[in-house]
Amino acid sequence: MHHRATVLVLLVLAFVLPLVYAETAHAIPAFSRQYKTECSTCHTIYPELNEYGQAFQKNGYVYTIKPKAEAKTTPAKGEAGQVQAASSEKNEGLLLAGIPELLPVSFTATQSIAYNEHGPGGDNWNFDTRSLMLQAGGSFRELAGFYLTYNLFSHAENSTQDESGKIDELFVMWRRLFTSPINLKFGKFEPKLSLWKKNDNILPTPLATSAFTVGDFSLQTPQDALEANAVLADRIFVAAGIVDVKGQNDKNGYGHVSVKFGGADMLGNEPEIDLEKESLWDYLTLSLALYGYVGRNAQPAGSTFRNDFYRVGGDMDLLYKRVRLRFSGVTGRDTNPQYTEPGTVQHPLLLAAEAQYLFGSPINVIGLFRYEHVDSGTGTVNRYIPAVAYIPLQNVKLVLEYIHEDGPEADASSITGFNNTVLLDVSYSF
Amino acid sequence: MKKVVIVAGMLFLSCSIAHAGIKVLGKGDSMRFDPSDFPPAMKANYDIMKTKCVKCHTLERTVIAITTGIAPISGQPFDRNATKAYGIKMLRKPDSNMNKQEVKATVDLMNWMLDEVNK
Repeated sequence: MHHRATVLVLLVLAFVLPLVYAETAHAIPAFSRQYKTECSTCHTIYPELNEYGQAFQKNGYVYTIKPKAEAKTTPAKGEAGQVQAASSEKNEGLLLAGIPELLPVSFTATQSIAYNEHGPGGDNWNFDTRSLMLQAGGSFRELAGFYLTYNLFSHAENSTQDESGKIDELFVMWRRLFTSPINLKFGKFEPKLSLWKKNDNILPTPLATSAFTVGDFSLQTPQDALEANAVLADRIFVAAGIVDVKGQNDKNGYGHVSVKFGGADMLGNEPEIDLEKESLWDYLTLSLALYGYVGRNAQPAGSTFRNDFYRVGGDMDLLYKRVRLRFSGVTGRDTNPQYTEPGTVQHPLLLAAEAQYLFGSPINVIGLFRYEHVDSGTGTVNRYIPAVAYIPLQNVKLVLEYIHEDGPEADASSITGFNNTVLLDVSYSF
Repeated sequence: MKKVVIVAGMLFLSCSIAHAGIKVLGKGDSMRFDPSDFPPAMKANYDIMKTKCVKCHTLERTVIAITTGIAPISGQPFDRNATKAYGIKMLRKPDSNMNKQEVKATVDLMNWMLDEVNK
């Protein structure tokens, strides 16, 4: 009852507040409202980030690290000057309090239709997988960035996990400690490991390298952590952190380093390009990352049944004009992922490769193919996923994907050793 | 006398704002530059701008940036360094459908307009 009342209040606020503060009739998510810009400023197809969105994220949800400019000339009379004058008038009280002028809240809803030829009990169709997520983010006078994702409602067929009414991520990041490039991040969040967060994807199906769970751990699971990160020399990103696990005194630890060649740098600054000559590097961007995670989990918490594990992985992101290639690989070791006595050591190995082609306007379609190799250490699955994403509006996405799995682990109930799923997913943000 | 006042009023309403040499027409999403006083080379560049640069957004943000000297989204100075940076940014956007010659033409136009505004 309390949960429903909370959802109702938040939905009313989401519809009413933009009407109070918005200068136009368009409804747009939190960052778009704050900076009065369209989704494509930071996203290829929402929520997948382009390089400016990645820079914005690294910068603690502040658009630029440079101080804002003062107008050099007196604003002209007429509409342009009046628009600019109006936008520069901020509420002094809110500014001094560090409170964002607009309530930085937005929502993302997803609905799916799935067909699985090996559906449980012969029920091959599923119409009721859906979710509604609240997102909030921004900065307090550009000194600290914050971000929240809260699962208002989540229902997935055949899933025993109910994520409704749970905080997915909630963190604050102290930006540029004492004018250094170091940011300090604290709260519940995805530790910086892979180049891409779990929602930095076109497909609703996350990359296997991030989503694969052994025991209680996956790369994309938000954890209670303290992380220091920094952009160095404009093109190198480093991050390191410690994770607090309930029921044990030992802390988990992780580190990440990535480097970017070509394209805008990690602060969003454009590269120098000679407009008189052609060069491959005018349009080529290459990002490379290495990461590691060392940890220990106990089940139940505080018991002697422990799993000591590590993960080591690498990612590559290659962008050239309308083509994007992503490669990801991670391996590791788990001493006792099933929490049994004696334990069974597993060595997981996961590989993923994805190719995208942007057909662009007027059809606004991305074609995509993903291959995944999942070796859990006890069995393997190969996954082939062709997909098409259609974006009629920047905040609305339709994805049709076909997931073919084969290998000994594809479907335990089938003698065929493969499984096919067709998924139609609609997501929209407001 | 009445006719003079009426004509003057109509002229005032049709021209929203003006800087020395740069006139702007329309308001809001329909805001755009008036190329009637542009030199021939800049008129040709403006033909490219009004065709290519409105694929994804209106000219409103361009007008605001040129006339105020501040990029409206980032709040950063909109000077000659910024015009080239934005030109490169648009060139590298996969769906902009602009080549280097077209980007150079629009950058040259924006630089010329900045010079006119700052006279």
